[in-house]
Amino acid sequence: MSSLAAMDGPNRRYLTRTMAFMGGYVAVNVAAILGAFDEIIGEPAGAILGLAVAAPIAGQIWATLALMAESDEFVRTLTAKRFIVAAGLAMALFSGWGFMESYGNVAHAPGWVVYALFWGLYGLVTPLIRTSR
Amino acid sequence: MKNRMRDLRAERGWTQEELGRAIGVSRQAVNALETEKHDPSLDLAYRLSTVFELPVEQIFTNPHA
Repeated sequence: MSSLAAMDGPNRRYLTRTMAFMGGYVAVNVAAILGAFDEIIGEPAGAILGLAVAAPIAGQIWATLALMAESDEFVRTLTAKRFIVAAGLAMALFSGWGFMESYGNVAHAPGWVVYALFWGLYGLVTPLIRTSR
Repeated sequence: MKNRMRDLRAERGWTQEELGRAIGVSRQAVNALETEKHDPSLDLAYRLSTVFELPVEQIFTNPHA
């Protein structure tokens, strides 16, 4: 039995939705890196491209909320705790870096880093948060 | 919350998966209840009471008693 087939319904749907949204996110960014949007970079249309890349991020947040709505109370609580801790740490670290830029002249970090930072932290805190209390 | 779920389930010969299906939660949730990593909602406690055919107090130890 494949690991996908072994998953329960909510987790299988979450994985499918995540792959779809992240596929879109990666596809637009890879296309941009490969020069597909070179004519609009720096133009007003480039700002719309930036928003288009953000759409899968909003979709991923919806997928997480859907996982919580479709799961039992234990999984729902665990997911919420992990999400809150990861989001809090990401905000604290990214805000801290922003102040370090302002006051300490450290290298600039682009805003999109916060999304990757959040999911990286979510992965780190997941094995540490195992109780609903 | 301390409970007798593992013993009660074993007495009936049920797996965590089977108990989970009976009360509408995942095997992971049943395991979390048995290992005291999750305190059930009142609704879930009553569902357990129904499938085990026991009062809630005979499944969970009242921490306030």
